[in-house]
Amino acid sequence: MTTLSPVRPEGERPMGFADRLLSLPFVQRSDALRSFILGAWLGWQIESNWADPLLFAVYSFARPIASVMILVVMYSVITDGATQQPIFAYIYLGNALYIIVGGVLGGISWAVIDDREHYRTAKQLYTSPLVGYAYLCGRGAARLLIGAISTIIVTVFGVLLFGIPITIGSIDLPFLIASIMLGLTSLSGLGLIIGAISFQLGRNAWQAGELISGALYLFTGALFPLDILPPVLREIGLIFPATYWLEAMRRALLGTNMIGFPTFAALDNTAIAFILLIMSVGLWVSAAFVYRWSMRQAREKGVIDLETNY
Amino acid sequence: MSSTPLAIETHDVRRIYKIRGGKRKGEAKTLIALDGVSLEVPRGELFGLLGPNGAGKTTLIKILATLLLPSSGTAKVDGLDVTTQTQEVRRRISMVSGGETSGFGLLTVEENLWMFARFYGLDNKTIKSRLAEMMQMVGIYDRRSTKISDLSTGLRQKMNFIRGFISDPSVVFLDEPTLGLDVTAARDVRGFVKDWMAQNPDRTLLLTTHYMAEADELCDRLAIIDRGKTLICDTPENLKRRLQSETIFHLKIQPLRKPTSPENVVEAVPGVRSVTIADQTDFSELRLSLQGEEALPAVLSHLSGRGSGLLSLEKREPTLEDVFIQLVGRRLDEDTNLNGTGEER
Amino acid sequence: MTAFKTTSPPAAKATGATLFWRTMWARAYPRIVGSLIRERSWLFFETVLPLAATVSYVFVYQAVGAPEEYVGFVVLGGAMTAFWLNILWAMASQLYWDKEGGNLEIYVLSPGPLMAILLGMAVGGFVMTVTRAAIILIVCSLAFSVTYTISSVPLLIAIFVLTMIALYGMGMMFAAVFLASGREAWHLANLLQEPIYLASGFYFPVRALGFWVAAASSLIPLTLGMDGMRQLLFAGDATLGFLSVEVEAIILLILSVFFLAAARFMLTKLEEIGRREGRLIERRR
Repeated sequence: MTTLSPVRPEGERPMGFADRLLSLPFVQRSDALRSFILGAWLGWQIESNWADPLLFAVYSFARPIASVMILVVMYSVITDGATQQPIFAYIYLGNALYIIVGGVLGGISWAVIDDREHYRTAKQLYTSPLVGYAYLCGRGAARLLIGAISTIIVTVFGVLLFGIPITIGSIDLPFLIASIMLGLTSLSGLGLIIGAISFQLGRNAWQAGELISGALYLFTGALFPLDILPPVLREIGLIFPATYWLEAMRRALLGTNMIGFPTFAALDNTAIAFILLIMSVGLWVSAAFVYRWSMRQAREKGVIDLETNY
Repeated sequence: MSSTPLAIETHDVRRIYKIRGGKRKGEAKTLIALDGVSLEVPRGELFGLLGPNGAGKTTLIKILATLLLPSSGTAKVDGLDVTTQTQEVRRRISMVSGGETSGFGLLTVEENLWMFARFYGLDNKTIKSRLAEMMQMVGIYDRRSTKISDLSTGLRQKMNFIRGFISDPSVVFLDEPTLGLDVTAARDVRGFVKDWMAQNPDRTLLLTTHYMAEADELCDRLAIIDRGKTLICDTPENLKRRLQSETIFHLKIQPLRKPTSPENVVEAVPGVRSVTIADQTDFSELRLSLQGEEALPAVLSHLSGRGSGLLSLEKREPTLEDVFIQLVGRRLDEDTNLNGTGEER
Repeated sequence: MTAFKTTSPPAAKATGATLFWRTMWARAYPRIVGSLIRERSWLFFETVLPLAATVSYVFVYQAVGAPEEYVGFVVLGGAMTAFWLNILWAMASQLYWDKEGGNLEIYVLSPGPLMAILLGMAVGGFVMTVTRAAIILIVCSLAFSVTYTISSVPLLIAIFVLTMIALYGMGMMFAAVFLASGREAWHLANLLQEPIYLASGFYFPVRALGFWVAAASSLIPLTLGMDGMRQLLFAGDATLGFLSVEVEAIILLILSVFFLAAARFMLTKLEEIGRREGRLIERRR
């Protein structure tokens, strides 16, 4: 028995929208697609439904808002509340967008450890005919979606309360769509690599994603222009897709309101998109290798279903 | 220690759970896990609780082990009330469950056991000597420096046993202790339990199991419990003796078709006291309890009339399983119907 | 297995303070040995994350041209995040994790007091966290050449000790609250992360939030603890403080007593409810 379609009594649709997706003929033909949808469905159930809806709203709202408010207060203490300065929009928007970066980079490794240590379902998952990486990407997608909701909330909050200059006229829609697609592809490739490596780590794997995204916070120009960094650290930032993605998103959203910093002055929009494309391809090819290597290692060491219970 | 000769004493213990799933949304539904259980276990006895999943065995053990309060009734361990004299009771008891996962994976067997023993206030010197002895006894001494995340189920359960016994308790509760263990490990566990009891006449052990042979081998006395009620309580020998007047046959026959009418069931054959039927892929298994051997030919002709030829036939001495079937009306491996009163907690 | 024959004497079991002491150190042991010795990578993970955030905030201040002392404020706040993270993830959530792992049942079953178990977790966690905080403090102070002008060493030590007692007392109380809230404890811990960084002034003087917000935030011991330590470490900047250091010390003392008493009360309640309702203690899926 290798089917992944859920068996259900007639008339019952326990998985709602996901169930309808799973019934599509082309989905039924592809184990990877089914695994992805199931992963995303499960991720959404875990992240959203099990908590009280009110608590969930607070969680999606309060945490990111608090996070950005720390920066707002820091900024205001020093500048006496001069939020109309371009540097404020730079900091604010970088922080809002970084929620997505964190979600994508940390989501997959989080899923690995959550299945293993918390729900103890790793054994069942990896002995079933699921396509592991697709399932994990699904879990990551659910976190991405939740992150994206927070990003939108924080951005709207900033536009309304602090006058972040995003207007219909300032948005470069084609470039925005291209940036989102290329950015998410490259970031999820990196997320999958981190997730795959998490299989090798103990319980602290749940921090692997956060660790990388935390470190990238420093190097990718999320909160301050890269020019502030000493030259050596600046070079580190240039090898990560998040750096280019944040630059691309700021340009796409703020248009001419975007402050220009010397780091990327030489690159036009097309060049940035091209860099993201190259990175996407490179990271996904690497992810495929790393995932296969890591799963083989994990099976060799017997740690796929590791429970440390520390 | 209290002067009472009773190690465990329960009087009309009831336990009701509030669970979700009432008729209206958000409405609580009550579930009676124990329905007036009264037991007396004298000191020095190895007492068994036998019953299917959902009978209420674990609920009773949890009440006695101070993890759960009774909804009504009283329960005493070593003469101490489990509801009010909690701390005193905890000093004297311990509990080991089958499939237990306690402990810290990063610590070794020895470190975990040291930690648990300290929770009972043991000093380092005592722990050291008792640990070494007990680890040798159960055969995990050479694995004492292994992290417990690397232990097999059997070794993990042996470690749990040491945890349960290292504090030198006077009353031990074992909840399905051989669950999931292989034959050798289960035999080791039974041997350990018997020896522990034999070493000191004041020790008491309460065991729940749904392995009949285990209960038969270990227990001085046992209670059969179903749907939260004790049905009977006696020694295994006396329980089996109740069935001496019956003749028990185990039959394998060709798959039995459904009876054409209610009068056409096997129970309707004269001389048949009770029947249980288990359908397998290629045959059906019948356990027949007859008033006497003379009733057998009529049963065989009834079966062949329903198109089922005889494959094998065996006359059996009554076992605890037969006692259980006679009392409960179904086999032990058939769970309690949850629409009824009990749910295993 | 061989026959059960022990030659060692019957186990003498301690009671009262000795039992409390033994239980506490027994529970601290997995924390200290497990994390500091056995899984050293944990230290790396737990240090780098707050370190990166701290450094980022320093650069934010530099990007907006903040005065030099703000770098010191951020460095201290960054070091203290290690304690807050420890409270949320290794104290408040730990009883819930212990329940899921099957250990809580053993704690409750044993005569060792639950309060001693929690104190053991706190002690173990403190040893781990103080190492982390020290690393952040030293690395950042050196990297950004932070200058400290300590005005009173005894007062500084007093403020730090009181902050820690009150903070871990609160962590113990949270452990009971989080256990009672089950799965949602996870979200609760998340919810108390950034909002508390904001409200307690981890990265800026809490005074910037205005008197009433700062007063409300003072329920979190780190608010006054950090404010007091900033005043004492950067002597020239006492004007940025919220209340006087002496007043802050008194409030921290009151908070310490309150949180420890509350933790004890709630644990007793929790066990009682757990035994009455047949949940909380056992693992559920």
